Amino acid sequence: MMNQSVVFVEDLWKNYAETEAVRGLTFGISRGEFFGLLGPNGAGKTTTIGILSGLIKPSRGRISIDGFDLFSKPMEAKAKLGLVPQSFALYPTLNARDNLIFFGRIYGLKGKRLKERIASVLEIVELRDRVNQTVATFSNGMKRRLNIAVGLLHEPEILILDEPTVGVDTQSRNAILESLDTLNKSGVTVMYTTHYIEEAQRLCDRVAIMDQGKMIALDSPSGLIRDFGKGIIRIEFNAGVDETLLRQMGDIGSVRIINGQKRRVHLETGRTDHALRELLKRMEARDGLLKTLDISEPNLETVFIHLTGRGLRDY
Amino acid sequence: MIRQIIAITFKELKVLWLDREALALLFVMPVFFILVMSFALEGVFEAGSKGHPIELLVVNRNGGRVVEQAITDLRRVEALILIEAYEGVPLTSDKAEQLIRNGVYPLALLFEEGFTEKVLQTSNRPEHEKASVYLISDPAMNVQLLAAVKGAIQSVIERRVLLARVPQRLKEMLGIPEGVEGPPDSMLGEMNKSGSERSGVVFIHTFPKGFNAGRRPTATEQNIPGYTIFGVFFIVLTLASSFLQEKKDGTFQRILSAPLSKTALLIGKLLPYYLANLIQITLMFSVGVMVFGIKLGHLPALVIVSLALAAAANGLGLLVAALGKTEAQVNGLSVLLAITLSALGGMMVPTFIMPDLMKTLSLCTPHAWALAGYHDIIIRGFGVQQILSETGVLLGFASFFFIVALWRFRFD
Repeated sequence: MMNQSVVFVEDLWKNYAETEAVRGLTFGISRGEFFGLLGPNGAGKTTTIGILSGLIKPSRGRISIDGFDLFSKPMEAKAKLGLVPQSFALYPTLNARDNLIFFGRIYGLKGKRLKERIASVLEIVELRDRVNQTVATFSNGMKRRLNIAVGLLHEPEILILDEPTVGVDTQSRNAILESLDTLNKSGVTVMYTTHYIEEAQRLCDRVAIMDQGKMIALDSPSGLIRDFGKGIIRIEFNAGVDETLLRQMGDIGSVRIINGQKRRVHLETGRTDHALRELLKRMEARDGLLKTLDISEPNLETVFIHLTGRGLRDY
Repeated sequence: MIRQIIAITFKELKVLWLDREALALLFVMPVFFILVMSFALEGVFEAGSKGHPIELLVVNRNGGRVVEQAITDLRRVEALILIEAYEGVPLTSDKAEQLIRNGVYPLALLFEEGFTEKVLQTSNRPEHEKASVYLISDPAMNVQLLAAVKGAIQSVIERRVLLARVPQRLKEMLGIPEGVEGPPDSMLGEMNKSGSERSGVVFIHTFPKGFNAGRRPTATEQNIPGYTIFGVFFIVLTLASSFLQEKKDGTFQRILSAPLSKTALLIGKLLPYYLANLIQITLMFSVGVMVFGIKLGHLPALVIVSLALAAAANGLGLLVAALGKTEAQVNGLSVLLAITLSALGGMMVPTFIMPDLMKTLSLCTPHAWALAGYHDIIIRGFGVQQILSETGVLLGFASFFFIVALWRFRFD
């Protein structure tokens, strides 16, 4: 795996005083791949990004970036990376141009080359007409786009983005996702962390699912859904469901009681249509009991629920 | 509305309560400040009083009876402690000057040989043949305090001399051959003369040999270095806040993801504050020169001390940045250090009138050493060689601050 991977992470650990934020992470990213790191808040995604970007020192483990060890040859390794952190990481009192000039110079760009790159990235993120505006006056969406522009300035081979669409309106989000897709198709390797399953499903060639510091699954979205994804029927009752009905539902699929009063139940099944018909048959004798019913076809969320017993947003 | 106000109040109290370090600074700082300032300033208002006497070296070069009587009178002054011997050996003028040069004592009184004989002879002597008393002081001694002490000493000596001369003066006056006007006129004339004119004693204020102070320093020349140092250390708050802001904004993370070492980042971050300090120092001394006409002395030496001072201030700023995790902690620690170190270091009151413990503690501040360096140059007229020790100590402080800061500093 290591020889083919442009990013290779091996047995990565990060321990803090009371927690193990990253526990034995191992994965490789191929050149040109769009690699997703999916997990709930607190799974260790940002810590992993922090280690990859050189901000956090790991407790142990190895990281290789295009053949360069990140810890013994950090300058060579970091030259290949572009980072788009979760925080805006911009100087709010400076305008967009001054932010880009500063970060461009940090990467060794200067003169005409720097000007060309600034013009190019502003075009990509559609902020050309805001270049002289102070960043403090930008909307969240604009800040996120400028954040991405900074990460692209030096034309990195590998772009790492940590939840780049958090707090952004739908329109800006779609614009961001489209530009990332275009970038990836032009040959840039992308590592993308998110807790939004639709983003992972839309963009990623492969997705690593993280929970509590560990990687619990790694495959393409379709592969994960095929192997672990179940449909989920979310049922809400007007009164607590009795044991008989629970047993009957158990014959249909895997039952999970969501609240203590047994008014909300999830039914996990490989065949949602069949399960739905059987459930409604059993409900016929219990007129007035059913309040609401929601069906999720297998997706990465249901994969996560299957693997951990919790939803991505149950944190 | 009241409930909302209460809700916000409780939220703020909770936030404050959870930041224990900031809370400690908030409550400990004023107490600490009171303690330090009270002990340090104790001498300001009581200097030269019974509780805080000034130490005065006395050299008696066989001055005679009048000198011995004057010294006895001076011993009775509660504001003074007379020191006539050092390490069991009676003081000589050279020894007294050496002790002042070394900063052990601030003042010395020297009675010349044959003082009594000169005093008792006729008062119509040329100035250069009159009895002389030398008051030798450290040029950096606070001028206001010096004036008060000098006045007290002068009046005691003049009174003793006048008493000694009364029989002689009466003889001279009664010896006038003519007229009623004579004695009353001359007596009125006598009464209208100053104590110095009447006593016939010349008081000469001078500095120890080895100091190049060609003249007595002004209060401004004494104070401006202190104010400058006080101002320089306010960079601590600005610098530390800037580091904290970069951590919060995530810009450190972005910069460190680039092929850039942490060393380069720190140097690039610190340089502007170092330069700001140097500009600050230049500005303050320029104001002193242009507005108050102070003389700066040996400029290369001044530059060397300033470079070392700015390094110490920046080191302390980085240390606060390393220790302060929140805005409240950074603000509290910066203000606490700026004010208490300035007080301890002698910016607000000369260290020589502080209690002994405070004098010792002042040596643990970069402020005291910077002030000594500036005073050596501006007031004592010293050059590069003489300020090397103060510069070395300042660089030692800078090194200590930087080493501890780099050990504790986290970019995340």
